[in-house]
Amino acid sequence: MPGSTPAPGGVRAGDRPGPAREARPAGAAPGSGTGGRPSTGRGRARLSAFVSQTVLLAPATVLISVFMLLPIALAAYLSFTDWNGLTPDPRRVGWANYARLLQDADVGHAAVVTLVVTLVGTVACNAAGLALAVLLNRSGRLTGLLRAVVFYPYVIGPIIIGFLWSAILGANGAIAGLLTSAGHSPLPFLSDPTWAVGSIVAVVVWSQFGVNVVLYLAGLQTIPVSLVEAARMDGATRWQVFRSVTWPMLAPSVTVNLVLVLVGLLRVYEIVLALTGGGPAGRTSTFAFLILSESFRTNHLGYGAAQAMTLTVVIGALALAITALRRRAEQAVSA
Amino acid sequence: MTGSRPTPPQDGGSGHRRVISGRTAVLAVIALVMLIPAYLLVVNSFKSQQDITQEPFGIPFGRLSLGHLREALASPDFSLLRAYLVTAAFAVAVNVLSLLVSGPAAYVIARSLRIRHRVLLGCFLVGLFIPSQVLVIPVIFVLKSLGLMGTVAGFLAFETTLTLPISMFLYVSYIKTLPRQLDEAARIDGAGPIGTFWRIIFPLMRPAVATAVILHTIGVWTDFVNPQIILGPGSSLYTVTTSVYAAIGRYSTDFTVVYPNLLMAVVPVLVFFVLLQRNIVSGLTSGAVKE
Repeated sequence: MPGSTPAPGGVRAGDRPGPAREARPAGAAPGSGTGGRPSTGRGRARLSAFVSQTVLLAPATVLISVFMLLPIALAAYLSFTDWNGLTPDPRRVGWANYARLLQDADVGHAAVVTLVVTLVGTVACNAAGLALAVLLNRSGRLTGLLRAVVFYPYVIGPIIIGFLWSAILGANGAIAGLLTSAGHSPLPFLSDPTWAVGSIVAVVVWSQFGVNVVLYLAGLQTIPVSLVEAARMDGATRWQVFRSVTWPMLAPSVTVNLVLVLVGLLRVYEIVLALTGGGPAGRTSTFAFLILSESFRTNHLGYGAAQAMTLTVVIGALALAITALRRRAEQAVSA
Repeated sequence: MTGSRPTPPQDGGSGHRRVISGRTAVLAVIALVMLIPAYLLVVNSFKSQQDITQEPFGIPFGRLSLGHLREALASPDFSLLRAYLVTAAFAVAVNVLSLLVSGPAAYVIARSLRIRHRVLLGCFLVGLFIPSQVLVIPVIFVLKSLGLMGTVAGFLAFETTLTLPISMFLYVSYIKTLPRQLDEAARIDGAGPIGTFWRIIFPLMRPAVATAVILHTIGVWTDFVNPQIILGPGSSLYTVTTSVYAAIGRYSTDFTVVYPNLLMAVVPVLVFFVLLQRNIVSGLTSGAVKE
């Protein structure tokens, strides 16, 4: 299983077989040679090994439990309450938050926007990322330079990118200025709901596909040059080489990229906040934006928790579905 | 970089040249699209509001000034220089805490095949898929009950926790590549697991640690949601992202505030990026593509 996902399955794949060997970890040896009372010696050694293992594991386990596992459980609990962020003991309201979620027009809008951003963005990031990676997959100064040029938004971060693009696309922004001086009327990049969703998608793709370029380049470099050369030798065209050698060999990379982009795009928040503020009239709110902005502004954190739970379930289901669907493509490679 | 060879021998001269120039054209267009925002950011940081709105792409050499950048640095509400220091301190603290916490745990998990350790690893890796936005609301609940809401300790604890999935993933897979004979030898010399990890294994983990440090540093530096919500405007502790948000949120139509503030926020990361580009890229790929 070459080049697997960062998902749990990918790590487990590296495990050594033979769990029996592991049954006695460090510390089994001293007790075993004493003959007289092997059981107590071994028991003490095992105890001390257990203690030191616990010491090594405890801090990380405590943190992940208190700040990640417990919160996930709490989000589930809070989603059945009317918690407002202030009272220490929220009142239980049953399924009311979820019922409200289904009827809430804002949630419906946000679901559509999130769907569009995620679907179009995932396809665009992967298509652009893969195409550019194929173009750049050769040594040379140009390759390194371009990789840096497409990648730099990743280190700038989404909030800065959102503000920068709002200064470019906004009502008095750079493009409006350019169009006006050319005698054109400005385009409603951020003021018309449909245009604004398109702008968000474009900026998200602009800022994220560099990561895909880098990941696809790394994937391309795991493909043996000999395979490509053999295909060329047999008279295959560039496209045939890509279709029959590169693309199937790249299957694991495609899975990683799809899952990463999908999970990343479902949580788009900062770019929306800085670019459109969810507007005009809340029509560009994504799900993540709704959770963070609306529920905090209105103190409806119980309702926000219900939205968060919904998003978590969707992300989990999609990540699992993609990994399962892609497994077949990946198995075709290793076969 | 050893990719496919650039020159296919069979192609005739003219057809080949067409492929190359087509490629160059595509690359040039992409480079332009990627770099124009950066160009606007730099150029407009030195221009007046009127010059920015009327000639956004132009460079009026006679009227450029450093004044707006100086104003951005010396804003009366908060100090961007202080925000640099605060954010850098947060990044250092999160990296140190993350390493102290996840390194030893990864060692135990990597060297064990017990079910409970695998389940534990699974719990860490689930975090790769949980958006921090989803966690924020319940984490506020937790922090409030612990009395840590709005405190640096609470922020660092949560931010460190967010780094653990990536750290655990990187460290566990890296430690698995280190031979077990090292552990055996250390044990024969009388070292316990704790000593073995810190004195034998940890010094060998440098590549994995470098990767994690780079990813976490970028993560902390660009994080906006958690400092904004957990530290809040009340704490008067601004990171670079939250201070830029505070500066621009109020004056988003005054481009002499927007551009200089964004530029000042971006300069340190871009320097970091230019110096460490190779490591950042290889760090990112080592997390996602395993040989």
